[in-house]
Amino acid sequence: MSETADSPADPVWYKDAIIYQLHVKSFADSNGDGVGDFRGLTGRLDYLRDLGVDCLWLLPMYPSPFRDDGYDIADYCSIHPSYGTLEDFREFLGEAHARGLRVITELVLNHTSDQHAWFQEARSSRDNPRRDWYVWSDTDDRYAGVRIIFLDTERSNWAWDPESKQYYWHRFFSHQPDLNFDNPAVREEIWKVMKFWLDLGVDGFRVDAVPYLIEREGTSCENLPETHDVLKFLRARLNEHFTGKVLLAEANQWPEDVRHYFGDGDEFHMAFHFPLMPRMFMAVRLEDRKPLVEIVERTPGIPETCQWGIFLRNHDELTLEMVTNLERDFMYEEYARDPVARINLGIRRRLAPLLEADRRRIELMNGLLMTLPGSPIIYYGDEIGMGDNIYLGDRNGVRTPMQWSGGWNAGFSTADPERLAQPLISNALYGYQAVNVESQRRSEHSLLNWMRRLINIRKSTRVFSRGATTFLKPANHRVLAYLRTLGAEQVLVVCNLSSSAQAVELDLRFLAGAIPIEMFGKSLFPRIGELPYMLTLGPYHFYWFKLRRL
Amino acid sequence: MVQDSLLSDELLQHLMAVGQVDVLVGVPTLNNATTVGGVVRAAHQAFGRYFPRDRTVLINSDGGSEDGTPAVVRDCAVDDQDTFTVSHTLRTVHRITTPYHGVAGKGNALRQILAAADLTQARAVVVLDADVSSVTPEWVAALIRPLREQQFDYVTPIYPRHPLDGPLVTQMIRPLIDAVYGWRIREPLAGEFGCSQRFVTHCLEQDVWLGPLARYGIDLWVTGTAFAGGFRCCQTPLGPRRSAGHTGLSFQELFQQVVGAAFECLEEHAAFWVPRAAAEPLPMVGELPAAGEDAPAVDAGRLTQAFCTDIEQLQPVLRSILSADTLDSLNALAHQDCERLRYPDDLWVSTVYEFLVAHHRGVMRRDHITQALIPLYLGRTGSFLTQWADRSPAEVDAALESLGLQFERSKPWLVERWGEGQR
Repeated sequence: MSETADSPADPVWYKDAIIYQLHVKSFADSNGDGVGDFRGLTGRLDYLRDLGVDCLWLLPMYPSPFRDDGYDIADYCSIHPSYGTLEDFREFLGEAHARGLRVITELVLNHTSDQHAWFQEARSSRDNPRRDWYVWSDTDDRYAGVRIIFLDTERSNWAWDPESKQYYWHRFFSHQPDLNFDNPAVREEIWKVMKFWLDLGVDGFRVDAVPYLIEREGTSCENLPETHDVLKFLRARLNEHFTGKVLLAEANQWPEDVRHYFGDGDEFHMAFHFPLMPRMFMAVRLEDRKPLVEIVERTPGIPETCQWGIFLRNHDELTLEMVTNLERDFMYEEYARDPVARINLGIRRRLAPLLEADRRRIELMNGLLMTLPGSPIIYYGDEIGMGDNIYLGDRNGVRTPMQWSGGWNAGFSTADPERLAQPLISNALYGYQAVNVESQRRSEHSLLNWMRRLINIRKSTRVFSRGATTFLKPANHRVLAYLRTLGAEQVLVVCNLSSSAQAVELDLRFLAGAIPIEMFGKSLFPRIGELPYMLTLGPYHFYWFKLRRL
Repeated sequence: MVQDSLLSDELLQHLMAVGQVDVLVGVPTLNNATTVGGVVRAAHQAFGRYFPRDRTVLINSDGGSEDGTPAVVRDCAVDDQDTFTVSHTLRTVHRITTPYHGVAGKGNALRQILAAADLTQARAVVVLDADVSSVTPEWVAALIRPLREQQFDYVTPIYPRHPLDGPLVTQMIRPLIDAVYGWRIREPLAGEFGCSQRFVTHCLEQDVWLGPLARYGIDLWVTGTAFAGGFRCCQTPLGPRRSAGHTGLSFQELFQQVVGAAFECLEEHAAFWVPRAAAEPLPMVGELPAAGEDAPAVDAGRLTQAFCTDIEQLQPVLRSILSADTLDSLNALAHQDCERLRYPDDLWVSTVYEFLVAHHRGVMRRDHITQALIPLYLGRTGSFLTQWADRSPAEVDAALESLGLQFERSKPWLVERWGEGQR
């Protein structure tokens, strides 16, 4: 569909969207200072349109001391000077909309930077009117037992403020004090921030760290009813003033817990499905569909206007919080044998290195991403198979500059290479001379062009984005097969999760009479009848069959 | 299951071997052994001359011919020397002949062809009438070019012919369809057309295939569906059309099928045409051909005589269908000198529209309504021929255009009455 972001549109457009996540800092540098910026990004919008994605999700772009790569925000209503100006952002937004691309930005509402003016005022004295905008305590034993998220760097959720001589609460880094959402003034101020960007034209927010907004003694301080009250308040305000906008929740929780963040369609429009992601990797390494089928079948239904956001990789570590200890050990052993690749409770690697640059597995994983229930999210650079640098510290190794060409600084910047905000990937396998957009554009069979075709096929039908999912369970556990159904439209997906050729017999009697059409080559397959339907699949091979009844 | 499918296992096996195609030519047949060979040859020559690199297939869907039609399709040789020397195709050209099952009629054959086009994801589809002896390879090329080069979805032909030829089309079907649908089309009943994959899929999703329209009026339905579905339509000139004319129907049967189909189509597509205000010309790809030179020889006096005689006997029926004013005017005509009958445009338009409204309201059995229109049509046609037989083709064309405008001007009256019918 060629609907532009400015045209009257389906208010639930996000249900069909393919989202592309990118870091302005690492995408394209227009002024040669070594840091990506909005003008650079604007110049690359045609690339994103041609890729076929519908929506861009920008990592934080606000003024920040950058102690957490921008998730430590010092001013919510401005643009970091390295990225440009508010005017540059406006121009970028207009150009994106003109190409039919929607834009969602980060809303980090759980905490601010300790450099934010609000916190500076709050800590200046205990009598300051903004003191109650944060969570303070004379002791560090309140909310005892609440888990620490950044285990590698933090020992407590409380930090001592020598200026006002009290502890302040933080669920993430100690330089990120949590806002006090029990204070109505904080809620109002956050709504003002949202309205500021929505008035500019942004199409929604990816809302960071939503389970942690409220603290209560004797609880885990996660997913509390009062947190949902805050979120319902913000959603109600959004509904009062705007239509066609989206709120996407980051809640790294089990599906049954995340389900509450959809409410009755009155909280989030979308939420990430965190537990699905590691199980896709597990299933391929185990050569067994079990973990994947289990998690999808365990996922509760959501309101009609809501949608899951599903992904293979993102800007953070491949999180292993929502797996069992046994599963985590397996994942570490199989995907992060080098301990340097491990961080917090996860693995800091990009898609291609995780899959050892195996094109067949990369295709299979993207095939799953495009056909499992939810709106797929592609992390920048994964469409060309970019590599990472696990030695860069924190998660910076998966945030290196986009590799546009094999030329100077990979076409990312004209700065001296030493000046780049992040070093380029330059090894022989994943380096920009080998892996870049320009060379892949020229090859019809490159990963980039294959991804374009994949996206195009995904977008040819709404059955993947809105259809029901039914797993078939053939005797061969290495084969994952599921039926997506939307009205009379049906697509059968059959995937070989293993590294060897497989034969499978599918019991498709309930589909008798349908004629499968393979969606990539548009080849006809024999009509489904009463006998078991036999297919053979090469290693990591998959079929998408459109079923026609004529 | 398979028994309920349009596509036999044998046909499906053929289609699996064919795979995706760029050009599909469909030929519905029923006892067309004398002419179908020429049509098949023309299609194959078109593949070689105009689409040598493309993936092509010809599909013949036969309704149970007893004259050996499928054998002719299977065995007919392509004897154009060019085909082997200059313009042969690079790929295998597939030719499939297959029976269709169910009720006989072009609709079922067409449905099977469209289903095959859908399954093979044909990018361009051409349907040719097997009854025509004048098909050339250029027809196929002309029907496909607008689909491929200008992204039209439906291409309908224009044949060069004398304006007095085909009075059922020129006096009634064409001006009625033009005015009501709001697209001026030269050949609303053409048996040939070209269409896109998008249009194929849309047609297959419609609910027409088991009803009488599929048997008697599928050509008109396809055109109306293209208009009503908002598809990009155009017309393109082909050469003269010479039909063997083996319908086996009397004029009365033919009239009732054609007019009944037109009325049914308008019924089905009312949601499209009722709110559509003005008519506009259908885009033309290519030059409008000059009119044919040979005017048909028709005994106009016999037609007007039938009008004067039959209208007396039909008074009770006509009173249920027509308004008092229209019936009075017709009765007055019938009491004049039949040989000098002048059936004016405005009265003819009122007649047709009032019959259409009566059909819509179901004031009596619908086949009785269309049957009652026959003598009036004969009167109007006889009157027109008497008046215009000796004039030049250009003058006749101008008269027909004037009639078309009269239909268009009176459409608001039809829309108003149609709405009353709903209430």
